[in-house]
Amino acid sequence: MTQFLDIVTFAGELFIVAIGLLLVFGILKIINLAHGAFLVVGSYATVVATRLNWDPWLALLVALAVGIALGALVERSVLRPIAARPLDTILATWGLNIVIVQLITLYFGRQMQFAKSAITGAVTLGGLTYSEYRLILLLIAVAVGAMVTVVMRTTQMGLIARAVIMNEELAQGLGINTRLVRFVTFCLGAGLASLAGALLTPLVSVHPLMGVPWLINAFMLVLVAGVSLGSLAVATLLLGGAQVLVSSYGNPVLGGLTIVILSVVILRFRTPA
Amino acid sequence: MTPAPELTAAGHLPRTVRWRGLAFALSGCTAAYLAGPFVLGTFGQQILSQAFFYAIVVVTVDLLWGHTGILTFGQSAFFGIGAYAIAITRAYYSSGIPVTALALIGAMVVAALVGIAVGWLSFWDRASPIYVAVVTLALPVVFTQVILSGHAFTGSSSGLPFPVPDISIEQWYWISGGLLLLIGAAAYVFVKSDAGRLLVAIRENEERCRYLGLKTSRIKTGLMAVCGAVAALAGACYAMFANVAAPAYGDFVFGTQLVVWTALGGRGTLIGPILGTVFINYVSAVLGGNFPFVWLLLVGLIFIVVVVYLPAGLAPPVFSGALRLGRIVADALGVARVRAVASEAPESIGRDRFSVVVRPEPAGTPVLHGGSQVALELRGVSKHYGSLRALEDVTFRAHRGEVVGIVGPNGAGKTTLLRCISDGRERSAGEVIINGARIGRLPPQDGVAFGLGRKFQAPSVFEALTVGDCLRVARSYRATPSFWRRSRALELPEAAQRTIEATGLAALIDEPAGTLPHGMKQALELAMVLALEPAVLLLDEPTAGLTSTERAAIGAVLTGLAQSHGLCILVIEHDLDFVRNISSRLVVLHLGRIVADGPVSQIVGSEVVRQVYVGGGTVT
Repeated sequence: MTQFLDIVTFAGELFIVAIGLLLVFGILKIINLAHGAFLVVGSYATVVATRLNWDPWLALLVALAVGIALGALVERSVLRPIAARPLDTILATWGLNIVIVQLITLYFGRQMQFAKSAITGAVTLGGLTYSEYRLILLLIAVAVGAMVTVVMRTTQMGLIARAVIMNEELAQGLGINTRLVRFVTFCLGAGLASLAGALLTPLVSVHPLMGVPWLINAFMLVLVAGVSLGSLAVATLLLGGAQVLVSSYGNPVLGGLTIVILSVVILRFRTPA
Repeated sequence: MTPAPELTAAGHLPRTVRWRGLAFALSGCTAAYLAGPFVLGTFGQQILSQAFFYAIVVVTVDLLWGHTGILTFGQSAFFGIGAYAIAITRAYYSSGIPVTALALIGAMVVAALVGIAVGWLSFWDRASPIYVAVVTLALPVVFTQVILSGHAFTGSSSGLPFPVPDISIEQWYWISGGLLLLIGAAAYVFVKSDAGRLLVAIRENEERCRYLGLKTSRIKTGLMAVCGAVAALAGACYAMFANVAAPAYGDFVFGTQLVVWTALGGRGTLIGPILGTVFINYVSAVLGGNFPFVWLLLVGLIFIVVVVYLPAGLAPPVFSGALRLGRIVADALGVARVRAVASEAPESIGRDRFSVVVRPEPAGTPVLHGGSQVALELRGVSKHYGSLRALEDVTFRAHRGEVVGIVGPNGAGKTTLLRCISDGRERSAGEVIINGARIGRLPPQDGVAFGLGRKFQAPSVFEALTVGDCLRVARSYRATPSFWRRSRALELPEAAQRTIEATGLAALIDEPAGTLPHGMKQALELAMVLALEPAVLLLDEPTAGLTSTERAAIGAVLTGLAQSHGLCILVIEHDLDFVRNISSRLVVLHLGRIVADGPVSQIVGSEVVRQVYVGGGTVT
């Protein structure tokens, strides 16, 4: 039972980290390697909030806002000029990752940081004690996923976003401001990454290089999932679950590779749609 | 923001500037290298030795990414494999020279095998170019985790120290620099050779390469294996130089750094990435010691600026700036001779004047007898997209020496038909038989061996290559290209030669294909396909965008080919007059089915055709 909770909560963590990357991949058709850095920014936002003695819940909103602002800046200054060269955006966003991580290192140093958690303690469910925060995190992940799904399915904005995913040129021809759609999506993606970082802070150690392993896992999951939120949920559950099982029954160091290796193999054998 | 004016449309320096800059750079580098130990202290030599080893790996990154377009984050893993192979061998087994040499060879073999595995995972047909980035991103992650889980045996996170041979820093300087010169020179000769040109062709247009019979996946996998082995060699030597093998040698951060250095130096120029690597590593050792984070931040910022505004890297503007400076200095000194050399050199060096040679007909040239042999047979060829039937039970035969026109309104399935003939995987059902051989489900690169040649609807050429080089790439299926020589003569079969003469392409043989007007690209692609010496030629609107004179000329070439060589030609055309002039027979497609098939005279005026084009609706 604990294992089951471990799997679903870990899948929730993966989902909330990957969802921003998936949105950006679906609509801008680029792989944003600065996603990990946005996550780090969100974590450090909560660190700052703790230092200022702010409420941890407020810190989440601050992280979201900082992420969105950063995304806006990056989209305008770096991504827009190279929109026509998708492979180069991989490089440019990696450069951004270097710059952001170095800026954080310069200011905060390389050591681990501490941030206050909104919820501490555990709940008891039918004789089983489990971390309350991890369960709340899972609920938040489900809520974010549901919210994005509802927006995509029912609103005008979601309709436009889906149109851009399917055929950007046609959407442009129909008078949709695809530039704006790309801009908004990227801001949102960055905001979600930052929010994910803030949410993960109580569970992980906060330091400037914390983003890379999350980035790599999220990158793999998004490529396996394609552009569907449903597939992303399934992928995080299956691959994240495999990782939890390998880590607990096998070797924890190799367990960290489960998602990467399984994704590469799945990508090789999946028939292209 | 536009790129620097020196760049051509494809983002490369014009030949002349590149060659001159290279000559300058090479002599300068070699002189600086030889002078190194007399100028630098031990510390400087040590830093440069390290940079030289890194630069060797960067050469492999530039071959893979800069020349062939394979974005790799994983060259560090191969470097790490080499380092650990030597470290483990010398630490636990023997530090004798023969065993070390054996370990070196073993490391290169293992790295090559890993390279083949990476190729197998990444380069399947229709794989997106992002997949190789995914796989090579995973590779160093896997590598470091494996090293970490080796605990004491691999030294885990602190690295594995081992007994090293007694080699002084100055000796290491000569070894590392000599190895870099050797490998850099070999890479240079290779990319300039006939075989090396294929790399750029793959980067520019992999699909066209496949349809020219080139097994691009195999070529890329081979390149990956060789580059992996070279990186392992550098890693093995580097570990002996550094007295230790550390996980950082093979990790993801180092892998991305290699790409950063390549991009900063100037991808696809070889010399740019080498100089960039040496420069960045030297400066970061000198300055970075005091301000490591500021220095890294600066590199990151410059990297972004270069990727966004100077995609060709810093080498081209630096070179052309140096040239201009050199010219100004020469002017000021009034050295007429230097000026003359500087302005004439490109004409003689850079210009790639080569002569077109008509290939003599081989002894076994098929001669047309009778004219009733079936060259191409389609049996029940169908193509379904879900419930949509794009092609339904298409069955017909085409004979040698026959020019069959395929006509039909838009959406009739004409292009789909050509695709289903040339790419076995596209067919939902049915069979294609060429000269009696079933081509089954084989991909296009294998279809060429049966004698298929296909020209695409939109002209598909190699934009960054010259007209002559495009034709050479097309010939490489017939004549295996050399890995070190660059041939001067271009040998073409008569048909291809006649096509380039008739359309005036012969005069543009040194022009980059990307700068040609639309019609010329059409003609070039046709000539490229004809250079394959196909038995069955599939043409999708071959003359769209050509002038009427050019059309007539190409029409004459095609009919001549069919008659003299027994070539079977399937041609899609909207220009009915053109079709009437060159075809002996028409096949009318409508809604994926053949609705009429017969001699031109019979079909053109028929009721069926009128109904298909004008009446619409269903034809029974």
